[in-house]
Amino acid sequence: MTNVMSLSTHTTASGFLLPSIHSAPPFFTQQPNPGTQAIAIEQWTRLILTYARHRRLFVLRVEDAETTGNDWDEILRNERINRKLLPPYLSHILSAMVAKDLAVYEPPRQTRSVLLYWRSPDEWAETLHSWATATGQLNTILTFYDITDPPIESELTGIPIPLLRKAISILGKTGRAQMIGVADGEGVRLFAGGR
Amino acid sequence: MHRRGGVGLAAFDRQEQSNRSFAELSSALSRSQVEHLHSQLNQFRTALARFASTHRDSIRSDPNFRHAFQQMCSSIGVDPLAGPRKGGWWAEMLGMGDWQYELGVQIVDVCVSTRERNGGLIEMSELVRLVSKLRGVTGGGITEEDVVRSIKTLEPLGAGYQVVEIGSRKMVRSVVKELDEDQSVVLAIAQSEGGRIVEDILIHRTGWTRERARAALENMVHRDGLCWLDDQDEQYGRAYWVPSAMQWDL
Repeated sequence: MTNVMSLSTHTTASGFLLPSIHSAPPFFTQQPNPGTQAIAIEQWTRLILTYARHRRLFVLRVEDAETTGNDWDEILRNERINRKLLPPYLSHILSAMVAKDLAVYEPPRQTRSVLLYWRSPDEWAETLHSWATATGQLNTILTFYDITDPPIESELTGIPIPLLRKAISILGKTGRAQMIGVADGEGVRLFAGGR
Repeated sequence: MHRRGGVGLAAFDRQEQSNRSFAELSSALSRSQVEHLHSQLNQFRTALARFASTHRDSIRSDPNFRHAFQQMCSSIGVDPLAGPRKGGWWAEMLGMGDWQYELGVQIVDVCVSTRERNGGLIEMSELVRLVSKLRGVTGGGITEEDVVRSIKTLEPLGAGYQVVEIGSRKMVRSVVKELDEDQSVVLAIAQSEGGRIVEDILIHRTGWTRERARAALENMVHRDGLCWLDDQDEQYGRAYWVPSAMQWDL
C-alpha cells in the first residue's frame, strides 16, 4: 500500500494557483537547517510576489499574519491543513526579501511593513513612461493623482506614492522626468527621450 | 630400403617444400574462414541494422518492448544501452546512446532540482513520476529498470548517484552521504506514515530511548536536511516531515 502524502496545487477563491508546497505542513514553520530555510524562504518570496502581482497588492505587514480577514489570508494561512504563518516567521521572510531588493521597508526605519517589488522600480519607471507616451501626456504637467487614479484604469492605478516617486526619480536621471510643485502638492512632467 | 622421407639433402628439401605447402594451405584455409566470418558479420550487421531501423521507435517508446529487447541482448552478451562509448556503432545505430544520455540528464535534472527540499534522497517511484512528467507525452514511458540502468551509466561521472533500499522501497541518492542505520529506520517509518514522523511514534515503533529517537530526528533536520520541522502539529505539537517520502506536484 502506498501511503504517500500527496501535495497538490490548489486554486483559491480569488483564482490564484497555490503551489503544492503550500499544502505541506512544515512550510509554515521556520526551519532550523540553514539550507532548508533558504529553500523555504525562496518559495515564500516567490509565492508572496506572484500573489501580490495577481491581486495588485503593494504592501505586506507583519500584522497581516496576526489578524484574519485581510488581503493576505489566502496565502498566509491554509485552512485545509490547519496551518498559518506566524508573525515572527513573516517578519523574517520580509527581512530576507528586503535584503534581496525584492521589497523595501516603507515607511523607512521600521521593520513591520514593506512595499513589495513585484515589479522593480526600474520597471515601474518604464511603465510610467510608456503610459504617458501612449496616452499623449508627455510634456504636460501631471499630478500624482492623475497617475494613481487615471480616468481610464492603467497599470499604474493604485501605485503607492513612494514607489511612484522612485520611478520618477529614475526617469529624472535620464532627463525624462522633472518634478514640479503644483497647487495641491506634487506633480511631474515627463519628456520623450532616448532610453 | 626406400623410405618416403628419404635421407640426405634431397629429403630435407622435400620436407621444406611440404612445410611450405602446408603453411600455404593453412593460411588459405584461415583466409577463407576469416572471409566467411566477415561475410557472416556483415550479414549480422545488416540484420541488426534492419532490426534497429524497424524497431528503433518501439525500443525508445515502449517500456515492455525495451525490456524484452534488453533481455535478448544480455542473453547474447551485448549491451546496446551501455552508451556510445561501450556500445559503439550498435548504440549509434539504435540511437540508444542518445536516448540513455537524455534519460540520464533528466534524472540528474530531477535529483538536483529536488535536492534542497529532500536532502538528496528521492523515492524511486517519485523519481520515475517526475522524470516522466519532464519527458512529457511524446517522450514515451520509462520504468524503474530504465532509471536503474541510466544511473549505472552515470557512474563514470563520479557524481555519486546510487540506488539504495530503505525499508522495502528503492530510493535514489544523489549526494555522497552515508545514511546511518537509525536514519534508515526513520526514513522507512516516515514512508509508512505518509512522510510525517513524531518522536513518540518513532519510540513506539522502534523501542528506542527518547534520547536516541530525538538525536536521530534532530540529526536529520540539522545535519542532513532530510527532514523539515513542523511546530504546529495538532496532536504532538512538534512533527518532522520527510520530503523524500512525500509526493510533490511541482
